[in-house]
Amino acid sequence: MAFDPQREDYQRMGLRFAHTLDSSSPAEATRAFASFSRRFARERDSLPQSDSDRAFHLVAIASKLIDYELPFADDAEAQKLIERGHQLLDEALSLDPRCFDAIRMKAAADKPSFEAFLEFLNEQSDEVWRTCNEQSTRILQKGTNDERALLEASLAMHPYLRWVSTQAEQALICGRNKQSIQLCLHALEVDPHDEADIRFTAALAYAKLEDAQGLATLIQNIGSKLRTRPANDAWTQLSLIALAHKTHDLQSATDLLVDLARLYPHAAETLLRQIELPEGVFARLAVKPYSEDELVLALSETTVLLQEGREPNGRGVLGAWISNEAAQMLPPAVASMIAEQMRDLMDGRGDVL
Amino acid sequence: MNAQEELIRRLSIKRSRQLGSLSQEAFAELELAVRERPQDFVDDDAEQAFATIAQALVRYEESRHDDDLLDDEQFLAARASRLARLTASCNEALELDERCIDARLMALLAADYAPDELMGSLLELDRRLEEMEGPIESGATGDAWADVFARPRLRVKAALARTCLDTARFSMARTYCEDLLAMAPFDTLGARYTYVLVLARLEDEEGFEWLDARERRKGNAWFHLSRVILMYKLGRIPAARRALRGYDQLCTGGAYILLQPILMDTYMPDRPTFEAGSFMESMLAAHEAEPIIADVPDFVAWACDQPGFYDSAVAYCQANGFDWREPGM
Repeated sequence: MAFDPQREDYQRMGLRFAHTLDSSSPAEATRAFASFSRRFARERDSLPQSDSDRAFHLVAIASKLIDYELPFADDAEAQKLIERGHQLLDEALSLDPRCFDAIRMKAAADKPSFEAFLEFLNEQSDEVWRTCNEQSTRILQKGTNDERALLEASLAMHPYLRWVSTQAEQALICGRNKQSIQLCLHALEVDPHDEADIRFTAALAYAKLEDAQGLATLIQNIGSKLRTRPANDAWTQLSLIALAHKTHDLQSATDLLVDLARLYPHAAETLLRQIELPEGVFARLAVKPYSEDELVLALSETTVLLQEGREPNGRGVLGAWISNEAAQMLPPAVASMIAEQMRDLMDGRGDVL
Repeated sequence: MNAQEELIRRLSIKRSRQLGSLSQEAFAELELAVRERPQDFVDDDAEQAFATIAQALVRYEESRHDDDLLDDEQFLAARASRLARLTASCNEALELDERCIDARLMALLAADYAPDELMGSLLELDRRLEEMEGPIESGATGDAWADVFARPRLRVKAALARTCLDTARFSMARTYCEDLLAMAPFDTLGARYTYVLVLARLEDEEGFEWLDARERRKGNAWFHLSRVILMYKLGRIPAARRALRGYDQLCTGGAYILLQPILMDTYMPDRPTFEAGSFMESMLAAHEAEPIIADVPDFVAWACDQPGFYDSAVAYCQANGFDWREPGM
């Protein structure tokens, strides 16, 4: 389950509200809670909230604009969305200077290079960890060990998990694969249920280091802890495909690719196109498991593997191989139409999106 | 590949075998005679085939001399016809001796396949050679290169190692390099240069230190550049900065070639010869490192920003009368 900013906003407010009901009778509390959703949606200001809740709310709106609307906006609209997003983040920071999500999202836009952004994340990471961890520990010590305290404590860690996830992903993009793996393993210790889905990034980093053993251990360890979904997600599958291709075991690579194509709708087209998307600035976009969108996202993150090596058409060795394989899964007319669109896109002439 | 020298050696050894055990002096005499008129000593199809590709390689190299004068289109046309002529010679050699390994290797290289396609063909060639001839022996000297008849197979392995690197198959490249170093520890073909780049890409510091120690830490452009990349990838920026300074100071035109990559043609069939410490050495190292550098997207910009590096590149450029393009343009 990736991080959904709207859902998290709702959870934070819900928890805050629940605290105010502790002294009420069960009947009163039930009645009050029945009105919560309506008030959350329409009279948010009538609900109890702290400055940090308000700041997070602004972050959630900014996330929606930047991560979910911007990719589909035209140029004029895009500029407005970006400006509005920045305003919201600035506002969030004026309410809560320690709103790490806002700090991180601003840096993502302000830092001039992958490297500079990574460096920034590296520098602040310890403080983010300390702050979130202290807060989470405090909640657990104070709260009876009930579900509410657990959820609160877990939410308190989210800004750090998003921070370290972004850090691991940036490290991967910057070619610092060992660092990426270390960050992922640390995050998995903090968050054994892997709410951040950081294991996907780890899988790609293991494939980059051609560490088949490391990837196998990751799959095994996660598998024993996570019951939510098996390790057949697109990230893990693509990492395994990359490893097979890297040992020139093309038959295994093909078999794995066919398995992947069976799991995801319209997979062959997606595998042929290999669209590269901007990273989600709040977090990896929340999409439905095994949806077409999830494969698009996973492939986009797999760019670090797809585009490596010398390849005459600039698609990268693995990228070109996967395209060719995917083309064979499609009716020839469809495959050649998409291939032509892709060529136009690469030449910067056409616009297929 | 110095095919002419190899031909002389092959012919001398074959003739001396026919003559029975020769003294060292007699062998030297014989070699002089062969050097004088190699063609007179060719008396089987295998050597005729080798002589054919040796001549073809000389023609191939000669035909490249005027490349600098051509525009892009002319260059591509000249290159295509040069490769076609080479392919024809390889086929001619293979008709004489279908086991002429160098002809097979060069025919594959001259076909100008995409690296991933070349990979499959080279693997197939190597596999067939293993089947037909078994493993390559290190021989009495402990270095397979000493046996001139083993060299073609070593060249196939070295080409495989480089093609693995080009196709992002780093563990495979490592295995080929390790095999080559075990079979031919003196490493005339320079598999260790491919190896050191692979170790940097795999962020294998221990492996790098081992190889650097094996090289007695005297390094060269491949080692210096790999150290910078490795330290950078490991996030040890002060060490990367020191390594970059070392690379700049020790590799002729190193800064220039990193900021101004030059297109290099296919190695035919192996890495061109270079003098230690020459600009050619820096050029070859930077060319071979390209796929690894591209995988570290901000690396070149970082290097460019380090004090003195950019100036050093521009200074080298001006001193040698080259054209300067602003990096990233």
